[in-house]
Amino acid sequence: MGDIGSSLIGKRIPKLDAPDKASGKTRYIHDLEAPGALHAKILRSTEVHARIVWIDTAAAKRLPGVHAVITAADVPWQRPIGVAKDHLPLKTDRVRSLRDEVAAVAADTEEIAEEALKLIKVHYEPLPVLTTTDEALAPGAPQLHEGHANNVAMTFDYAQGDVAQGEAQSDVVIEDVFRLHYVTHCCMGVSGVIAEFDPGGSLLLYSNTQVPFLHKREFAEMLGIDPGRIRIIQPPIGGGFGSKLDVYPFEPIAIFLARITGRPVKLLFTREEEFLASPTRQPVVLKLRSGCKKDGTLTFRTVETVHDNGAYTSWGATTPFVMMQTVSSLYRVPHCKYHTAAVYTNNPYAGSFRGYGNLQATFAVEAHMDKLAEAVGMDLLAFRLKNAQEPGEVTPQGMHFKTCGFKQCLTTAAERSDFVAKQAANRARWRDANPVKRGIGIASMLHVGGGAKIYPSDGCGTILKVDDFAHVTLITGASEIGQGSETVLAQLVCEELGLPLSAVSVVNNDTDITPWDVGVHASRTTFIAGNSAIGAARKAKAKILAAAAAKAGVPVETLSLSQGFVFSENKKLFELGKFLRGLHFSDRAELVMTTFYYEPPSKHQDKQFKGDVSAAYAWATQACEVEVDTLTGIVRLLKVTGAHDVGRVLNRLGIEGQIEGGMVMGMGYALTENLVVENCTVKNPNFRDYKLVTAPEMPEMDISFIETMDGEGPQGAKGVGEAPAICMAAAIANAIYNATGTRIYALPFTPENVYRALHGAAQAPAWGKAA
Amino acid sequence: MHAIERYVRPGSLEEAAEILRAGNVTVLAGGTDLMPQTHAGRVKFQSVLMNVRRVPELRGIEEHGGVVRIGALVTITELRESALVRERLNVLWQACDHFASDQIRNAATLGGNVCNASPAGDTLVPLLALEARTVLASKPNGSLETRRIPLDKFFSGPGRTLKKPSELLAAIEVPLPPQGFVGEFYKHGTRPGLDISAISIAVGAQLKGKVLNEVRIAFGAVAPTPIRAPRAEAVLEGREADAATLEAAAQAALGEIHPISDVRASDWYRRELVRNMLKRVISHVGQL
Repeated sequence: MGDIGSSLIGKRIPKLDAPDKASGKTRYIHDLEAPGALHAKILRSTEVHARIVWIDTAAAKRLPGVHAVITAADVPWQRPIGVAKDHLPLKTDRVRSLRDEVAAVAADTEEIAEEALKLIKVHYEPLPVLTTTDEALAPGAPQLHEGHANNVAMTFDYAQGDVAQGEAQSDVVIEDVFRLHYVTHCCMGVSGVIAEFDPGGSLLLYSNTQVPFLHKREFAEMLGIDPGRIRIIQPPIGGGFGSKLDVYPFEPIAIFLARITGRPVKLLFTREEEFLASPTRQPVVLKLRSGCKKDGTLTFRTVETVHDNGAYTSWGATTPFVMMQTVSSLYRVPHCKYHTAAVYTNNPYAGSFRGYGNLQATFAVEAHMDKLAEAVGMDLLAFRLKNAQEPGEVTPQGMHFKTCGFKQCLTTAAERSDFVAKQAANRARWRDANPVKRGIGIASMLHVGGGAKIYPSDGCGTILKVDDFAHVTLITGASEIGQGSETVLAQLVCEELGLPLSAVSVVNNDTDITPWDVGVHASRTTFIAGNSAIGAARKAKAKILAAAAAKAGVPVETLSLSQGFVFSENKKLFELGKFLRGLHFSDRAELVMTTFYYEPPSKHQDKQFKGDVSAAYAWATQACEVEVDTLTGIVRLLKVTGAHDVGRVLNRLGIEGQIEGGMVMGMGYALTENLVVENCTVKNPNFRDYKLVTAPEMPEMDISFIETMDGEGPQGAKGVGEAPAICMAAAIANAIYNATGTRIYALPFTPENVYRALHGAAQAPAWGKAA
Repeated sequence: MHAIERYVRPGSLEEAAEILRAGNVTVLAGGTDLMPQTHAGRVKFQSVLMNVRRVPELRGIEEHGGVVRIGALVTITELRESALVRERLNVLWQACDHFASDQIRNAATLGGNVCNASPAGDTLVPLLALEARTVLASKPNGSLETRRIPLDKFFSGPGRTLKKPSELLAAIEVPLPPQGFVGEFYKHGTRPGLDISAISIAVGAQLKGKVLNEVRIAFGAVAPTPIRAPRAEAVLEGREADAATLEAAAQAALGEIHPISDVRASDWYRRELVRNMLKRVISHVGQL
């Protein structure tokens, strides 16, 4: 039913918010003015690790225009925040990193608040600094947090089979150490929040969070108030990429200031602050040992990692959830062992970031796929195809690949990039005189594509209202953070109700209105919120068609919705708006307003990290072609050929944008981006020295979609948000090897790092202390 | 706090020099260095902010008697669009083509780039290779005076020059290079544009057949100031750019540079780049 008229699925639909954003009309949090608002600034530590002896705020308080200067002493009721609740928003007696919040000011203007910060005196007594995980793990190292005697914040262990047996069966065994660096999200919209209490003590928060419903609960606990008295409104968000999944100190600090002053308080980061006080991608040292048989069958994999947790625990510590999936299940490996220790240091702390540990794991795994293939003399593509997962597989970790386009991804990317022939041609030029070399490398990825059940529910609620002009308001718990979810959700509703896109408005940014959703993470919104929207739309459709059948006296099975009409077979029966008005304004008035809550059929992992954690899994292969100038170390990415199992393309324009953007983000991770942290200090907190990829560097991109029509996905689609960033660095590493014969085990591939590696002047990553 | 107490906008060079003589003046031209530097607290505003953009004597690109005079207010965009610069001072033109972004090029002035005296300043390196000199104006005794300082003597350290606070840079003078003079500018950054040089090289020479004459080599970002490399020049003078000569020139150049390690590059990498890229740039010039 409903196939009269044209479907919007798979078409190129401009994002609904694009005209506003392109014309500068979008009002981000920076543009919002709360009447009577004060402006807040945070005083951060000037010491990496120190005892706070005293803080003198008297002079700051005397500055005209200052309304409040607070330290931890003013908010004795504050509570620890973050994933492990190891982090007080305002530090009491000790700072553990340079970003640490020591005091905060609310003033009439930002400038006055800045001046007031300069008047606050803090006396520190420096403590020994832990700059590396090795120092933190050394016997006798100072302990950064109580209850963590050896500075280990968290550990993760996973095992399947028996790696000793796997190794005994191997003809080739290799072991390498990889080092993955710090990068940060670089959202174009810097962090910000507006907090406002009403006289009754209820909190209104304008926040850029990706998880409004989870935050509501956290803030309620912190303030000791009923979560029902907290309303979170999300203005359009200038970039998320995972950076807004945790509570960070600036949010409670703004709330404290609002409560203490009784005024709305607006707090916005400077760009420098955004670099210094935002979470990073998790830096990792990873040791990988793998083996295979002569015929190319993988036998085992052992992974140990040390995560530099930084001074506090955020989501970065928990990236092993995803890393172990790639280790155990991207390719078929009978025996696996995985261990991670996240270790406290005085460095910046790591959060969640698009790909969530998968970039790091894939970087190592795909390097070994190349090395093992070469060791047994197999073609790189054939070796991968031999070990690639197939539809129907249930991996030892418990993931069930109901659809799996992996082999198609591999062959499509390889064929479209002419991978096999170019590999051979490039290798043949290793020794010729031209110092500028060409290389091609391939890498693949597995990621959750149907949500990830890590909270009690991985669901999303929808309220759908069809008004008496047949206009639909889709009220969804799922936030828009630039990924295009509004547009896709509207499309899915239109598909069910036979309406044009212009007939749908999406409301998605107010916890007092929208139903619950776990948040924007794990590439889940299209899949989970999409299924939820479809569920609500189908209920509305059933209601409308039942009423139409009763009115027309025809069987409901003969009716459908299309082009804004109720159709009976191929004839227009009722104009939908008119029919709905009749329904609303009759004696037995009926509103067409439905609700739906979609909970995916995924499972929580057990204590051994086993279980079918997602309702669907996404696959991709990317082939990267590079040019390497061996006299400068400059690597130019010329072309990316990507093949992505996306289930089904819903919005072709949107998915192309997501994949292109993800490829460039992955490219930045590999080639240019590097948050330089020396002695626990960020050395390049600006866009001059932190190099994002710019327009002239964009590679040619050739993107193919593998449509596996996932049975559980909305119209067959899978999540794709994180996928395109994941295997870029791995593919580029393999391409550099193909160009030069040099394998580089540490990111980033900035010119000096590459030059050093090519000329034997690099320090190879070393495996330090294990924990 | 260092607050600006007075904003002045002279309409002539005389007037500007008069204001400078009174002291405590910050000179504003394009503002592309001054604004970020004051914002970051590295430079403090003096009590008088003098905007020199309406001083007509500081404008224009003209050639008289074999010398090209470039007014201090000439923007990078104007240089880039000048046929005279493109044809006769091509190595400078190349540097302007690699300079920052369109927005910055539209605002940034040649005089500002010279007075900022960054060791990595993009136009300074080709100007050194072109043997340019600065023209400084002042009004010490009630009448306007000018003095000229060759550019290779002008820089005294990172961000420092021999220009006195009472002097205004009025123009850069560049003697026209001999006919047949060719050059190349190379800038090493991590991306094609919008980057600060990790090293930069300007090479110019007059070619007679394959023989290099009048060889001039300058480097940026490998010493406290942009520098000429006379010993490397001497190695090349009157020779063809064969492999042995190139290597000898590179070795000579390595003895003339004093690079440091910073967030953009290590000293070791800068030396490697100088060796590899000087050879590459000279061999390009040798084939022009």
